[in-house]
Amino acid sequence: MTRRTLVRVTASVIAATMMSATAARLAAQGPPPPPKNPPPPDWIDPRNPPKEDPNWQPPRTRDGQPNIEGQWNQASDIITYSIEDPEAYRAEHIAISGQRAMVGRPIIDPIDGKIPYQPWAAKFAAFLHEEHRKPSKPQYLDPVSRGFQEGVPRISYQGAFQLHQLRDTVLITYDYHHSYRVIPLDGRPHVGKDIKLWMGDSRGHWEGNTLVVDVANLNDQTWLTIIGDFHSDALHLTERWTPTAPDHIVYIVTVEDRNVYTQPWKLRVDYRRQKVEEQWENAVWEGNMLGGLPQEFWGGAKK
Amino acid sequence: MHRLPRSATVIPVVLLFATGIAAAGGQAPNTQAVPRTPDGKPDLSGIWQVMNSAAWDIQDHAARKGVPAGTGVVIGNEIPYKPEALARKRQNYENRAAADPETKCYLPGIPRIMYMPYPFQIFQTTDTVTMLFEYVHATRFIYTNGMPHPSGHIDWWMGDSRGRWEGDTLVVDVVDFNEETWFDRAGNFHSEQLHLVERFTPLDRDHITYEVTVEDPKVFTGPWRMSMILYRHREPSLQLLEYECFTFDNEFHAPTPSR
Repeated sequence: MTRRTLVRVTASVIAATMMSATAARLAAQGPPPPPKNPPPPDWIDPRNPPKEDPNWQPPRTRDGQPNIEGQWNQASDIITYSIEDPEAYRAEHIAISGQRAMVGRPIIDPIDGKIPYQPWAAKFAAFLHEEHRKPSKPQYLDPVSRGFQEGVPRISYQGAFQLHQLRDTVLITYDYHHSYRVIPLDGRPHVGKDIKLWMGDSRGHWEGNTLVVDVANLNDQTWLTIIGDFHSDALHLTERWTPTAPDHIVYIVTVEDRNVYTQPWKLRVDYRRQKVEEQWENAVWEGNMLGGLPQEFWGGAKK
Repeated sequence: MHRLPRSATVIPVVLLFATGIAAAGGQAPNTQAVPRTPDGKPDLSGIWQVMNSAAWDIQDHAARKGVPAGTGVVIGNEIPYKPEALARKRQNYENRAAADPETKCYLPGIPRIMYMPYPFQIFQTTDTVTMLFEYVHATRFIYTNGMPHPSGHIDWWMGDSRGRWEGDTLVVDVVDFNEETWFDRAGNFHSEQLHLVERFTPLDRDHITYEVTVEDPKVFTGPWRMSMILYRHREPSLQLLEYECFTFDNEFHAPTPSR
């Protein structure tokens, strides 16, 4: 047995024995404590969202889909720095920058608001969390900070975006890094499994007033947060976009990755409608200065 | 044309007619077959790509190693560079392996991205023609709602596009460029004063004539034009994928570890 195989087998045995322990621990734990810092006045708390009007029906597009067109931005006070506990992880950052402490903890399942990592993965995530303050290698620096695309679901809690509904297609154009997603509604299958994409491959359909989007073919190069919460290329997402009021969309994504997490978990973002504005260029890579970082930082990575 | 027409006003009409015929390969446009939006405009929606070698060189060129030969897309083939600009173009060509901004994976600008060898997709609504490119996930939002260019010069890689319909032709005025992008891999270049007028004219369901008039008083002595055809991808399973250029070079991308 090679060392690598031994490690893998050991890890899976530990994972199996830890599963029940983790489940018991989670069952014993309640939701995260309320924010220490004041949230913005119009904050939508994912654990205490506004009551929905069950009789409200969204307007329809020309071809009869629920109309979700427009410009939207999250009202959940989420920052991509951390989705588990931004107040704690950003404490040093806030002290230096003087920025407001953002308080959003969007993970609604499991109830403790934490990513249900397998034990080995929890260890690796903790290592990356520690590295983020002063990465010893370029690969420990947030991929978005290195100029790469956010991936899904991270782009869902980054910033403003526009939804466009066309025949058989929903199109999302994001302000950040001119990223976009084309979501066919015509029932076509995903592209082949050997095609891995930064923004994944999206397929949508309507279930009542909910746009359900299946996202597959994601690569393993994106992180969920600046501090290094990660996934493998087995990541699979089910997004549910539900308009619940004229200016409100509830977004709940189920995140699955058998290589990294012990169970599927759910993240909620509430979007509020904004005035539609022209989307002006947001060049990201073009400002890249990584090449100017010292040679010793790049180690073997730089030619 | 052997004789000058008597009236100078005839010239542009005759020229337009002549290039229209040339671009269509001798065929008159089949406007009956052009798909239309509910408001009667040609519907340019679809996935499109050129079939030419303009990405390497927009002018006539013989094959070089790794470069397919090509009849140029510049009408008349000559580009009216000012003398000092022509010298710089030649220098760019000599240094192209390192100097071409494409090697830095930057947004390639317009018109260059229109004829790079990657597909792009058009989505059309009443007030916007959106173009999404597979290459570095570039986007163009061509506003057709009558809103003018923003005031002042803005340095944008992809410029600012404002469109209007002239009959069945989408006419797009593009300004607000930076001076960082080139026209091709052969060193043809411009300044931030680049001004484009693009004309998208559907020939039939699956072909669009793409013509662009180029002006830049810092670099050229006068306007010049390019013309080519955009072909619709008919493969039913084809979709935009990704060419995230800047993720392929280890100088910038040590693979992100996931375990």
